[in-house]
Amino acid sequence: MNIFRLLSRKRIDEELRQEIEEHIELERCLNLDRGLNEKEAVRQALIKFGSKQRLREDIWRMNSVTLLEKLSRDFSYAVRTLLRSPGFTILAVLTLALGIGANTAIFTVINGVLLRPLPYSDSSRIVHLEQAATRVGPDRIGFSVQEVLDYRQQSRSFSDLAEYHSMTFTLLGAKVPERVVTGVISANYFSVLGVKPVLGRLINSSDETLSAPPVLMLSYAYWVKEFGADPKILGRPFTMNDRVHAVVGVLPPLPEFPDANDVYMPTTSCPFRSSQGMIANRDARVLTVLARLKPGVTLTEAQADLSTIGNRLALSYPKSYPRAAGLAMKITPLQRELTHAARPTLLMLLGAAGLVLLLACANLANLALSRQLRRSRETAIRLVSGASTWDIFRQLIVESITIALAGGILGLGIAMATLRLLVAYAARMTPLATEIRLDGHVLLFGFAVALFTGLLFGSIPGFIASRSRLSLIAGSGERTAGSEGRSRTRNILVAAQVAFSFVLLVAAGLMIRSLYNLLSVDPGFKTAEVLSANLPLNWSKYSNLKDQNIFFQQILERAQQMPGVQNAALTSIVPLNNTEGMNGGITIEGRAVVPGEPLPQVDHQLSTPDYFRVLGVPILRGRTFTDADTIDSARVALVNAQMAQHYWPHLDPIGRRISTDEGKTWVTIVGVVSNVHQYGLNEQFKDVIYFPQAQVTFMGDPSLLIRTRDEPTHLAGQLATIIHQIDSQQPVTDVRTLDQLRNAQLGTPRVTSILLGTFAAVALFITLVGVTGTLGLSVTHRTKEIGLRIALGATRRQILFNVLRHGMAPVAAGIVGGAIAAALSTGVLSSMLFGVPPHDRVTSAAIAILLTVVALIGCLIPGRRAVSIDPMKALRSE
Amino acid sequence: MPRSKRVPDSEMLQGTLDMLILKTLVMGPAHGHTITHVIEHASEDFLQVEQGSLYPALHRLEDRGWLSSFWGVSENNRKAKFYKLTASGKRQLIEETSRWRKIVRAIGLVIGEDKA
Repeated sequence: MNIFRLLSRKRIDEELRQEIEEHIELERCLNLDRGLNEKEAVRQALIKFGSKQRLREDIWRMNSVTLLEKLSRDFSYAVRTLLRSPGFTILAVLTLALGIGANTAIFTVINGVLLRPLPYSDSSRIVHLEQAATRVGPDRIGFSVQEVLDYRQQSRSFSDLAEYHSMTFTLLGAKVPERVVTGVISANYFSVLGVKPVLGRLINSSDETLSAPPVLMLSYAYWVKEFGADPKILGRPFTMNDRVHAVVGVLPPLPEFPDANDVYMPTTSCPFRSSQGMIANRDARVLTVLARLKPGVTLTEAQADLSTIGNRLALSYPKSYPRAAGLAMKITPLQRELTHAARPTLLMLLGAAGLVLLLACANLANLALSRQLRRSRETAIRLVSGASTWDIFRQLIVESITIALAGGILGLGIAMATLRLLVAYAARMTPLATEIRLDGHVLLFGFAVALFTGLLFGSIPGFIASRSRLSLIAGSGERTAGSEGRSRTRNILVAAQVAFSFVLLVAAGLMIRSLYNLLSVDPGFKTAEVLSANLPLNWSKYSNLKDQNIFFQQILERAQQMPGVQNAALTSIVPLNNTEGMNGGITIEGRAVVPGEPLPQVDHQLSTPDYFRVLGVPILRGRTFTDADTIDSARVALVNAQMAQHYWPHLDPIGRRISTDEGKTWVTIVGVVSNVHQYGLNEQFKDVIYFPQAQVTFMGDPSLLIRTRDEPTHLAGQLATIIHQIDSQQPVTDVRTLDQLRNAQLGTPRVTSILLGTFAAVALFITLVGVTGTLGLSVTHRTKEIGLRIALGATRRQILFNVLRHGMAPVAAGIVGGAIAAALSTGVLSSMLFGVPPHDRVTSAAIAILLTVVALIGCLIPGRRAVSIDPMKALRSE
Repeated sequence: MPRSKRVPDSEMLQGTLDMLILKTLVMGPAHGHTITHVIEHASEDFLQVEQGSLYPALHRLEDRGWLSSFWGVSENNRKAKFYKLTASGKRQLIEETSRWRKIVRAIGLVIGEDKA
């Protein structure tokens, strides 16, 4: 039936009416001709024509889309019915809004992070390469300059291969001296990524020569933040590393990958990367490599290609590739590289949100079922007066979908409201968090979930209602045979609810225990009342140890004089600051070096004497550094307890000597300090060797640590002032307290626990409502039976026991089912847990007890009602 | 959802009625009343056309594009709706007629009509 006719039904009907009148008129005239009198002529004409109304209805129906018609009628009926019972409607809409909102919110994050293509052209062909010393440890190793050149030249799988590393440099020429995070890239880097500039041009190969004038590209965020998106930025000069760099282009908004860089420069502009020592050293593996696969080349083929080259290099340079290290190539698609940390957590949360929604569905199905029970007489009347079972079923489904869509709209609002929090949360796990936003996919998802939910919770009561017995109309209504099947359905729903909540509660319990474990990790130092600040060093100004020492001494003296300062120290690495330590090989005096074996690797750290006092790290043996350990005195070092245990078990390490340059110079160990969680609360201790800053030239950026008498943040403002009094061009960045750093470490597990905990709490509540409501209804049904039992002499205890048994049976079944489901599913949590196994029995047992107790309390309410039934009233109530 | 089954022979009648209407209109445009009379008259009053079937049939045929309609003036000078055969309606009539003949012949063969 075409839509045109549907819309012009009224006009067609009017024409038909005229046509009929005309027909009858003609017939009347004919009858008159036949000799009938006027009255009889009209009568005969009308009789011959038959029912006018019926004809008009037939043609009206011919022009209708029946299903649509019926649906819209069902819809308006549903709206009216729902408005008549606002209690049920509000409860149902709110429950669904929470469920759909949670799912949509998590899906929004997943859509932005995992589903949306990366903002690089043809991003599925971009891969991230890395090396790993498989026999030493799981740490990822970068590439050296020589290796990049070799792989670029010899590989046949890639259309291009680009290198990258990031450093911070001081940039002069903006309002104040600025410390900028600088991506140092090969000229082809952005063409490998497939990025086009929004302004100016990309860095090209003519920029990547030592004689070319230095150039810079700005990141979009930095351009907007520092220069207000000024289009005249092109050509503007900035001084970096004592050379003038001109801006040639601005990048589009990109994920903060591999780092949140402010500016980009070609490799030839970086003093570190362009030094002869760096270029020649095949073992200085600090570069990140990205490559673009040639069309048609698979990952496996590329992997094989890389391994071949790797083997060839190992033959040519055996010293750089010791067999014992087991150096191997690894190739990862860029998408996975960007999301590997977020993927399991996000999928787990979506699963949890999905469970909450299923639970809500089960509960609503239960609610709708009891509503249906109350309406069973209405249903029976409709069936008798000609409605088909499909009409009944469809009407209930339309009702539930109406609720679900209302819930969906509200849920979308919830998702939008929580989006900012979720973006901040996701940003800890993936650089793609900036890509998270509401779009068509999210809306479609929300709509689909709502529709699915409506179908799910409407079909059960719909199915049961459409099989209503006509006997219901006879009045005895709720106690007929049909209710047997109904109470079984309800019990199954309750069991499902209990099972779902069990899984959620176990997951939440595990996460919370894991968070508790993290919180109770002793970091090995005192985080309270310590302020840290990063002081990125201008290398051309403080290039040698003497200049550095003078500068550092001045800083420490000024810092000590600040009011409220207890002591201050400089260090190469601030604990828990998400920075990676310097790792190096050592030679131990008196121990043979096995040729072909890699040297023992330990972390190197530099610090000034007060470092251990500022952090409160106990000295276990020997002494700490003093001001007497100077550039002219004997070289000394401290080791941590783990390293002492590792290399000198049962021996005293003090007085032993080690070398960091394969025996050219020797350093004496003078003390042992306690272990410190340097890199993360959930990381194992590492072997660490400490050197006094006064004896070793700083290669990285030093950090200042200050222990204060009270709230350390009060000093934050003054800190920059006193540093600038010494050197007005010295940037001061990352001013934070150690407590803040520690809390940042706990951020992700904390939010994950809060989200899961909330989901689980909602689940528990819904389940409680379900258990109580179902049992309450069953007590109502059995009022007469219970009354009879009491009249026949059953004690209150017996009645209570009987009711509780009825209520707890599905709960027990649900707990068993949930325990099985949890055992099968909590494995996905393993990567997110700390200090607790994913199949922890204690957690499961505790949750089982919790659920049992909560369900028992829920059952006691209808149980008490059953006990207080007055048998006389109950028996007379019919 | 139709619940009561229709009388079985009405279905065959329906198809036949369509053909008869088309055939009637070969002679020229006519309104519903005329169509009824022509069919009844031509069949020597054996076939009785029910208006409850005629008008839905006309409506359906128009919907399929075999008829078109216009408002004209009837023999007693009143406004009346006339139906007219379209080109595709003519083709349909030829097709239906030949199909009808085949069916009649086939059924005749089966029930063993007198060889006339």
